[in-house]
Amino acid sequence: MDDHFAAFSFVDRITALESGVRARGMFAVPRDLDAFPACLVAEAVGQLAAWVAMDKIAFRGRPVAALATETIFDGDVAPGSRLDLAVEVESCDDEAIAYGGTAHVAGVQVIELKHCLGPMLPVQEFDAPEVLRERLRLLRAEGAPGGRFHGVVTPTLDVLEGEPGRSARAMLQVPTAAPFFADHFPRRPVFPATLLLDSQIRLALDLARAAIGSATRAVPVPLRMTNVKMRSFIAPGQAVVLGAELAALNDLDSAVRLSAAIDGRTVATARLNLAMREK
Amino acid sequence: MADTEITKQEIQAVFPKVAETMADALGCDVDQVKLDVSLIEGLDAESIDFLDMVFRLERAFKIKIPRGRIIENARGDMPESEFEQKGVLTQGGLAQLKRYLSEIPEERFGNPMKVADIPRLFTPETFCKLVIHAQREAAAAS
Repeated sequence: MDDHFAAFSFVDRITALESGVRARGMFAVPRDLDAFPACLVAEAVGQLAAWVAMDKIAFRGRPVAALATETIFDGDVAPGSRLDLAVEVESCDDEAIAYGGTAHVAGVQVIELKHCLGPMLPVQEFDAPEVLRERLRLLRAEGAPGGRFHGVVTPTLDVLEGEPGRSARAMLQVPTAAPFFADHFPRRPVFPATLLLDSQIRLALDLARAAIGSATRAVPVPLRMTNVKMRSFIAPGQAVVLGAELAALNDLDSAVRLSAAIDGRTVATARLNLAMREK
Repeated sequence: MADTEITKQEIQAVFPKVAETMADALGCDVDQVKLDVSLIEGLDAESIDFLDMVFRLERAFKIKIPRGRIIENARGDMPESEFEQKGVLTQGGLAQLKRYLSEIPEERFGNPMKVADIPRLFTPETFCKLVIHAQREAAAAS
């Protein structure tokens, strides 16, 4: 099976596109998935923005994930849901796209991205421009067939030393091969930033659960992520050390500082606010 | 408008907000953001941080700063071919850059100097000037 436009593509159809200004689209979350994490919802919004950007600059470049000022997690998305995606462009040129966007399910907002910035890189480094052009034509016409996405194997996190109730560290071993690398991207496989963020959120939730103990009836859930900054690409097979740190011991009200490093060099940072939800 | 017309008072007026914005972008304490600290060598800024800072300054000051504007401002009216050749500043280009980045000590400029190395010179004052230029342009346009 061809994984291109399938294994990590989250726009089925673009229903409205005002070049370089805004777009609306949709993605049908396959019913047979076990779950559809919030980070993939964010990925869907970002991919719609990428189509707007590539269209605007005639496929000379494609944006890559770099900065996301604020992402608000409003609700979970169940398999079988239809995501209604919207993107509003703040600016777009050959250098970068700045945008915000939302995803709704049945009229209810499930995620909001504010002030994201994706620098443009030469499109031919990642994919064939003519193939992307044709794909955009399809998405704007009848749309792509649904059910192409079959989930992502969640990478395991190997726990490293940390300070209970204060900080946690874990090793994320990026697989050397995975279906999503054929889609993200065909000419240059890159571990998706949103999958990194998903792992970072999991580590932060582990830290929070350990901090509050098992006696409480509430569970921590992600509320908002701010100041996401991707400093470099993560390639297949790389080992990434993830860090999560509470500002003060057992203080879940403050943001969790998230980091990711390869060979001691920071490749990504973010902050995460958690909320407590009754079990 | 020529850079030499930017006064110390104008720079001091925008510096607190510029410093706060830079500290947010770099994840450092605002006290570390001195007017003359090298952003790359003193605060470990990378290219993505410059993008982040410009993105944040645009929102903080409600201005538009086209990417690459610092070097464009430095070049001024000088034709690109006179400013640099094959990625290296000409002697005229270097003199022009020194005039624009007048706050940078002479010894920090390379000679010859690659265009790609210009960001190594940048300090918060460089960004204050960028903001002031953008504010002036916005005022002139309105």
